[in-house]
Amino acid sequence: MEHPHEVTLPAGAIEVPPSSRWRRLPAIAGAVGVGALALSFALGRSDGPQLYHSYLVAYLFGLSLALGGLFFVLLQYATRAGWSVVVRRLAEHVMATLPLFALLWLPIGLWGFDDVFHHWAHPPPDDPVLAWKEPYLNPGAFYVRAAVYFAVWTLLAVWFWRRSRRQDEEREPAITRRLQSLSAPALILFGLTLTYAAIDWIMSLDPHWFSTIFGVYVFAGSVVAILAFLILVALSLRGSGLLDGVLTWEHFHDLGKLLFAFVVFWAYIAFSQFMLIWYANIPEETEWFIHRWHHGWQYASIFLAAGHFGLPFLFLLPQEVKRSRAGLTFAASWLLFMHYVDLYWLVMPSLHHEHFHVDLLDLTCLIGVVSLVFAVFAYLLVRGKLVPVGDPRLAESMALEVL
Amino acid sequence: MAHVAYDIDPVEHRPALIEGDPDFHGITEAVARPVEWRPPWGWYAVLAASLSLLGLFGVSIAWLFWEGVGIWGNNVPVAWGWPIINFVFWVGIAHAGTLISAVLFLFRQRWRTSINRAAEAMTIFAVMCALIFPGIHIGRPWLPYWMLPLPNQMDMWPQFRSPLMWDVFAVSIYGTVSLIFWYVGLIPDLATIRDRARTRLRRIVYGIFALGWRGSFRQWLHYEKAYLLLAGLATPLVLSVHSVVSFDFATSQLPGWHTTIFPPYFDAGAIFSGLAMVVTLMVICRVVFKLEHVINPLHFDRMAKLMLLTGSLVGYAYSMEFFIAWYSGNLYELFVFINRATGPYAWAYWTMVSCNVIVPQFYWFKRLRTHMGFLFVSSILINVGMWFERFVIVVTSLHADFMPSSWDYFKPTFWDLATLAGSFGLFFTMFTLFVRFLPMVAMAEVKSVLPQAHVHNRPK
Repeated sequence: MEHPHEVTLPAGAIEVPPSSRWRRLPAIAGAVGVGALALSFALGRSDGPQLYHSYLVAYLFGLSLALGGLFFVLLQYATRAGWSVVVRRLAEHVMATLPLFALLWLPIGLWGFDDVFHHWAHPPPDDPVLAWKEPYLNPGAFYVRAAVYFAVWTLLAVWFWRRSRRQDEEREPAITRRLQSLSAPALILFGLTLTYAAIDWIMSLDPHWFSTIFGVYVFAGSVVAILAFLILVALSLRGSGLLDGVLTWEHFHDLGKLLFAFVVFWAYIAFSQFMLIWYANIPEETEWFIHRWHHGWQYASIFLAAGHFGLPFLFLLPQEVKRSRAGLTFAASWLLFMHYVDLYWLVMPSLHHEHFHVDLLDLTCLIGVVSLVFAVFAYLLVRGKLVPVGDPRLAESMALEVL
Repeated sequence: MAHVAYDIDPVEHRPALIEGDPDFHGITEAVARPVEWRPPWGWYAVLAASLSLLGLFGVSIAWLFWEGVGIWGNNVPVAWGWPIINFVFWVGIAHAGTLISAVLFLFRQRWRTSINRAAEAMTIFAVMCALIFPGIHIGRPWLPYWMLPLPNQMDMWPQFRSPLMWDVFAVSIYGTVSLIFWYVGLIPDLATIRDRARTRLRRIVYGIFALGWRGSFRQWLHYEKAYLLLAGLATPLVLSVHSVVSFDFATSQLPGWHTTIFPPYFDAGAIFSGLAMVVTLMVICRVVFKLEHVINPLHFDRMAKLMLLTGSLVGYAYSMEFFIAWYSGNLYELFVFINRATGPYAWAYWTMVSCNVIVPQFYWFKRLRTHMGFLFVSSILINVGMWFERFVIVVTSLHADFMPSSWDYFKPTFWDLATLAGSFGLFFTMFTLFVRFLPMVAMAEVKSVLPQAHVHNRPK
């Protein structure tokens, strides 16, 4: 099928005008982020474990968004997707926040390390399992691996982001060809780093526990998060009169379908992990779920199953919802919230075994990290074209018709 | 044989999916030809060979019913031998059809139209092969209906807590939905064959199965709706069937079987082996039935990429299992994996790894993704590897059980081999008959992806 190469982009739709409120967002979000983090560290001075666990959940929330963005971009190139070109730039900017996460990791890696990872960093001498795992779970290897993850993520994010931006000026199809051919090996690097980061920073909080599907579980949640985020940002850009006639309801419909698909995928992976451990009932595995089934955590578990799968599944099923502003806004906001609940449910029971507890620090850390990430995202967003104007498949994307 | 005269992966435009720019009638002629003309002598040769193997299948099953499951190599400690391996192998093969017809349909992958019909047919025949193995393995083969929840005077019910029971439902639902999906897709093409029929018998037989299709606008509207709904319903089945099959193993407490990644890992492997079987069959069929322009290198390129993806996912699962076996600190788990890689079955393990993880890595190169000879050999190797994967999972986890005095080296018997070979006889008999009597390419769908079907197409 042939598509016209030249497209006329509606003037004023693909760049943020100087008067737009989007221009003020980076500074505001940056200030809020720094303020909220400063407040968190001031409030949490006396309670290191709470502070750094809260911070870890917030950090993972931001990181999973950024990694989801990286995955989204790589996937579009690997599949030679046409429909998604007008959405891709937004994901590219989310991906481009990845270098920031090396910096944001320092509080966990330097000051909070003992508060968060003490179970294996300072194992009791009579624990043969942790002694066995010492070649993997030791601070030296942990830092080296973290350095490798950040190196890979930064390299991929910057490399893909730069070339896509360069194509805005040069309009060179060769750039697309090059990014396509590198996207598949990049996806392999992405999959491996995400898996081991999930093991290092989440699974190792309960260092006796293990699950082979864990990396896939964290991956599934990240994709739900990035799709929800992209929908919300695109909706608010459209609300500001931007991307009119470029990013249409056809694209929202497709994003909504993907969101639905990954909600189901997440549930499938979560169910596989839970059901197999529950059924075999081996104490060394069930321990992890038992922590999430007592002392109030069982309500969080039920809420997660219903809120991250049951409700959004039924809600997103009708076609009309995926083509309505109110429907998509609700579904995407709700799923972002549920993604935070998911990460909270993964991390927090290792701190609060004995009772379910929500802390003010959870909120301040979340606002801090998310605002900083959003500041960088918005800074990049207002400083360039909102869509990859030089992409050879832009016309195909703009002509998308789903129904 | 690597002849790709044009760029099958351009970025400036979408490539033509059918070579040679045929018109609608040209597609009909090309696809209807094998159904309407005398088949080549090779077809009779393949049918004769397949029927011989099918006969062997019949003999094997008859001998089994006469003598009992003792004719197989199954024995303590490997009480689950080749029958379950063959069952999982065939269910896996059955996955490509629905993936190509349903999942790729939802993802708007229009290249699927050239291969979906044959892939779906293959799916149904593979499900038939698969269902036979648990059916003949129940010890009292005259009571298979006990697997179904039928009200009876003994108040006896199946054990719903058993994953083997879930298998009965999962596979039979999958077979039913695949069959309906395949048949719905066939209706417009059956009507075409009916309309072209030159004998009364053909007109009546194809006419009955075409269900009075006239190709009116209203009929197409209903048809497209039904197709979309069936695709939506069949998509979760692609994931659920092999997940349930994996539960047979993973719900147990046995090291090597009990691991949480089994469901998605089995799915990836199933799609991998199913695609390999489609590639094997299509490499041959396109030449024999002169459909090289309809099933062309572009389609093989896309299928090879999917095999690279699923093969690498399987590789990820292998490595994750091995890593977690060590990381868990569970010595029994670790023993099973070290035993797989270095023990008496190391040859099977490394056959599996070479065929499933290393062979698909060659698909990184476009030249090999479109080289018919390489595709043929590599796709067969992949299915050899996928059979060995099930062998490794079943046998190596059982042969060295918790009591070293009962450790044993599993040896298949002649009847194990005969039954497996016989199941290929059933599969190829069905497939050979299919390509002779039904249109093996969805011609109505292929026409819809020709350039002239597009609204903005201008005649040259």
